[in-house]
Amino acid sequence: MELQAATDRRRALEAVLRDVIAECGPSLRVLSGQAERRAYETDALTAHRVLPGLVLLPADRSQVAPIVRACLRHGVPYVARGAGTGLSGGALPAESGVVIALAKLNRILDVDPDRLVAIVEPGATNLSISAVAGEFGLYYAPDPSSQVVCTIGGNVAENSGGAHCLKYGFTSHHVLAVETVLPDGTVAVLGSDDIEAPCYDAPGYDLRGVFVGAEGTCGVATRIAVRLLRKPEAVRTLVADFPDVPSACETVSAVIAAGIVPAAIEMMDNLAIRACEDAVHAGYDREAAASLIIELDGHGEECAELFDQVSALCSEHACTRLRIAADEAERAAIWAGRKAAFAAMGRLSPEFLLQDGVVPRTRLAEALAGIADLSAAAGLRVANVFHAGDGNLHPLVLYREADGQGPAAEKLAADIAELCVALGGSLSGEHGIGVDKACSMPKMFSPADLTAMDRLRAAFDPSGLCNPGKVFPTPALCGEARAGAYQPHPLEETGKIQRW
Amino acid sequence: MVGAPSSASTPDGKPAPNGTSPADGAAAASEPPASPRSITPTTVKDLRDAVSTVGAVLIRGTGTATTWGAPVRDARTTVSLAGMDRVLDHRPADMTVHVQGGIRLDVLQAELAEHGQWLPYDPARSEATIGGLLATGDAGPRRLAYGSLRELVIGATMVFPDGAIAKSGGHVIKNVAGYDLAKLCHGSLGTLGVVAELVLRVHPLPATSRTVMVRDVDTASAQRLTWALTRSAIEPSAVEWCEPEQVLAVRFDGTADGAAARAAAARSMLTGSLAELDAGEAHSFWESHAARVVAEPGDTVMRAATRPGIDPGLVGALSAWADRAGVKALLTCSPATGAYTVRVTGSDAKAHAELVKNWRASVEAVGGFVMLRRRRPGVDAMVESWGRAPGSVEVMRRVKGNFDPENRFAPGRFAPWF
Ligand SMILES: Cc1cc2nc3c(=O)[nH]c(=O)nc-3n(C[C@H](O)[C@H](O)[C@H](O)COP(=O)(O)OP(=O)(O)OC[C@H]3O[C@@H](n4cnc5c(N)ncnc54)[C@H](O)[C@@H]3O)c2cc1C
Ligand SMILES: Cc1cc2nc3c(=O)[nH]c(=O)nc-3n(C[C@H](O)[C@H](O)[C@H](O)COP(=O)(O)OP(=O)(O)OC[C@H]3O[C@@H](n4cnc5c(N)ncnc54)[C@H](O)[C@@H]3O)c2cc1C
Repeated sequence: MELQAATDRRRALEAVLRDVIAECGPSLRVLSGQAERRAYETDALTAHRVLPGLVLLPADRSQVAPIVRACLRHGVPYVARGAGTGLSGGALPAESGVVIALAKLNRILDVDPDRLVAIVEPGATNLSISAVAGEFGLYYAPDPSSQVVCTIGGNVAENSGGAHCLKYGFTSHHVLAVETVLPDGTVAVLGSDDIEAPCYDAPGYDLRGVFVGAEGTCGVATRIAVRLLRKPEAVRTLVADFPDVPSACETVSAVIAAGIVPAAIEMMDNLAIRACEDAVHAGYDREAAASLIIELDGHGEECAELFDQVSALCSEHACTRLRIAADEAERAAIWAGRKAAFAAMGRLSPEFLLQDGVVPRTRLAEALAGIADLSAAAGLRVANVFHAGDGNLHPLVLYREADGQGPAAEKLAADIAELCVALGGSLSGEHGIGVDKACSMPKMFSPADLTAMDRLRAAFDPSGLCNPGKVFPTPALCGEARAGAYQPHPLEETGKIQRW
Repeated sequence: MVGAPSSASTPDGKPAPNGTSPADGAAAASEPPASPRSITPTTVKDLRDAVSTVGAVLIRGTGTATTWGAPVRDARTTVSLAGMDRVLDHRPADMTVHVQGGIRLDVLQAELAEHGQWLPYDPARSEATIGGLLATGDAGPRRLAYGSLRELVIGATMVFPDGAIAKSGGHVIKNVAGYDLAKLCHGSLGTLGVVAELVLRVHPLPATSRTVMVRDVDTASAQRLTWALTRSAIEPSAVEWCEPEQVLAVRFDGTADGAAARAAAARSMLTGSLAELDAGEAHSFWESHAARVVAEPGDTVMRAATRPGIDPGLVGALSAWADRAGVKALLTCSPATGAYTVRVTGSDAKAHAELVKNWRASVEAVGGFVMLRRRRPGVDAMVESWGRAPGSVEVMRRVKGNFDPENRFAPGRFAPWF
């Protein structure tokens, strides 16, 4: 039986290969050797690995539709892949499935400095858009820490965020239209009709809004029209130290409640501060129980006025030291320290798990206290470095595999995510559900909620071949063993990208 | 209130001429004729019971946009959200508010204003309900700076035609868990599900709003000035241009000094007959600006979406076709987002239909869309409410089929697309 199924799968893959070579010609790069395919068996959630049956790298976007159609014809599951930096297993292949790797489709096709729109291919890196737009004084606002390598196609699929999304919003707010190869093999532009002339409010259901954040389950993006912003006139940054975590949390609430929307509010607890300081000497106070990095930007006068208000609020909330970046160099140093947090964590612990959850901003103190309790009960340390302004926590559970702490760490990480849900928050603020948290979805959503979402998925993908097994809990998946530890992306280890 | 049939009314809320549904006819042939009824539930569960009925259902908010899109056929039941009009949970410190779908925007804004907050959203009709506004996918001039309602919705509770009550999102402003059902309902015009509850992200009320006005701005200058603004860092919250008046209005929201500085920067950057309006003038300008697209019975209102910009070809085509048809066309344009609203008055249905057809062809030729928000009686027989279908229409059809297999919610609304 099983043997027969394996033979059928191999035949189907061979048929796909035959068809795509016939239709796409020699410029389509095909990776069929086991060693070549091995490089695509996981994304940055390396605990999950599945060897794909075939990896195809289109050299031209017109090759994507024939690939999807061939998969459809022969019943072969497929997954789109950008840079593979996803942290929830979104780009994990299906067994004997096809990986459509879009890294070679990486051109910025057009930048319109009047309409403030760029048309880009899906494999373009997040940062490359801003680099090209920068020539016009423009930039693409969502700034995931992985922006040097992660692709806009992956950002669209995950609705990625970054430190500056507090003020500017997430990927979804910056995508006007997506040219998509739909799972039925047809090509349609979602959110407009002409990808080269994208409009703001196309009539009908907001399918573009559904596609962004659908984790690659609704089709393959082949061109994306993104909004660009003018670079702000002024940017001001400060670091405020606090004697305890609740004071820092209250300051976050106070700033928000004062009606100020900073560009970013990031928080670090003492464990994280010490690790960063030891690693980078960014001038943080090793004794501070917690620090906030607050950045404001905008028009000159307004920015200055609000910055003074923020400084005053920090002082009112028992801030023990206020460090204001005097110039661009000092500002860069502050951010470098913040971004070194991940690399620094290795000093604290040989292994760690990164969690991603969200709580309402007013419940940050409660969430952190709850995490501290869970951490004490589990006998494992947890460091916190996160997007406080959004309530987006990124607890790092530190453990030693050699001491057999793995399972306890897994459980602690899952408990923390579920604590976020219990506090009225969410399982994920930016890393997505993928395979990683599919089994926790019932903690946040009822069967009726999930059924409605699945109906929507089925409207895009009636055949169920487009990135199957993601987002939704399945018995096969949720019966499986624990996920295992996070292992750093190779580029993280070199310090080129950071995880938060 | 649930199930209490109110006096017979048409889907438009007007008393039916003789107690029958206005669309009684072919579609209803096999069912015994029944008078249309109106239900006003007050809880989500009652709402579910109300929609789990037989026959076509029309969802109704305030009723200011029931004419948007194609006419609904044979609505047996009107489900009004008028009884679901409360704020359920306002968390000022989190800057989120949880409301029922039937709350009026003006009521919500008043509640938020008490806490120095607002929903940065300014459609022309503030008596419209928040659910209706999401369902119409409507937005006003400030869409430029703050996005449309879809950008402000962080959670939703929907009631689907099969009676399923489903939620997506939640109370937090950052959230990527699960699909976003609220986005799906944006622009759905009552055809997919009832927006029973929404959680919205609110913003601090800006301390000041300033308006700079430029007069005698022709199409080419309006285009040029708009690009000058988008190329600057002064962040207008709205840029609007009107024809035949030919005024360009630019709005700035912010701190008292900040908004003043940006308005001053705009004045020095823009050219032409410039003036900054005082608070009173600005208020009445924006009121009348909203009112100018509000139609009277007998008018036709078209909405076009194109890529950003004022296309001189489209504006020229509009006035040329209007002259030829002998009608008056009042144009309101948001050049930076490419939205045009046209109110057509005068002459007869044939002339209106002619204008719609001709101008739609011009707009579609540049990749845009034209839909009808309202039409003079008789126009429907001559021109469709929706023009060329987008390439994604097949997915929309499947979405509709999966959520409403019996086609009970607002049947006909998207005709001829589906
Ligand atoms: C060190 C590090 C730091 C990070 N920091 C952040 C952060 O600050 N904020 C944040 O939000 N995330 C962050 N991430 C997560 C990750 O970078 C993002 O999710 C990113 O958007 C993934 O992009 P990718 O190109 O690597 O996509 P992949 O990992 O290749 O794929 C991710 C998902 O997108 C789908 N996909 C890819 N391309 C397409 C396409 N063209 N069409 C349809 N679907 C497609 C895949 O099928 C998959 O489901 C970080 C990851 C790492 C390793
Ligand atoms: C004459 C006129 C002129 C207008 N001019 C403008 C203008 O110039 N600019 C502008 O921005 N706006 C304008 N509007 C529109 C208005 O601002 C709103 O878009 C609209 O009123 C929506 O709210 P409502 O509660 O009145 O909805 P209704 O009119 O009751 O319903 C509108 C649609 O939404 C559906 N619906 C309503 N409630 C729900 C719900 N809870 N769940 C699911 N579906 C629902 C209905 O079935 C219907 O299809 C105008 C409206 C009118 C009547």
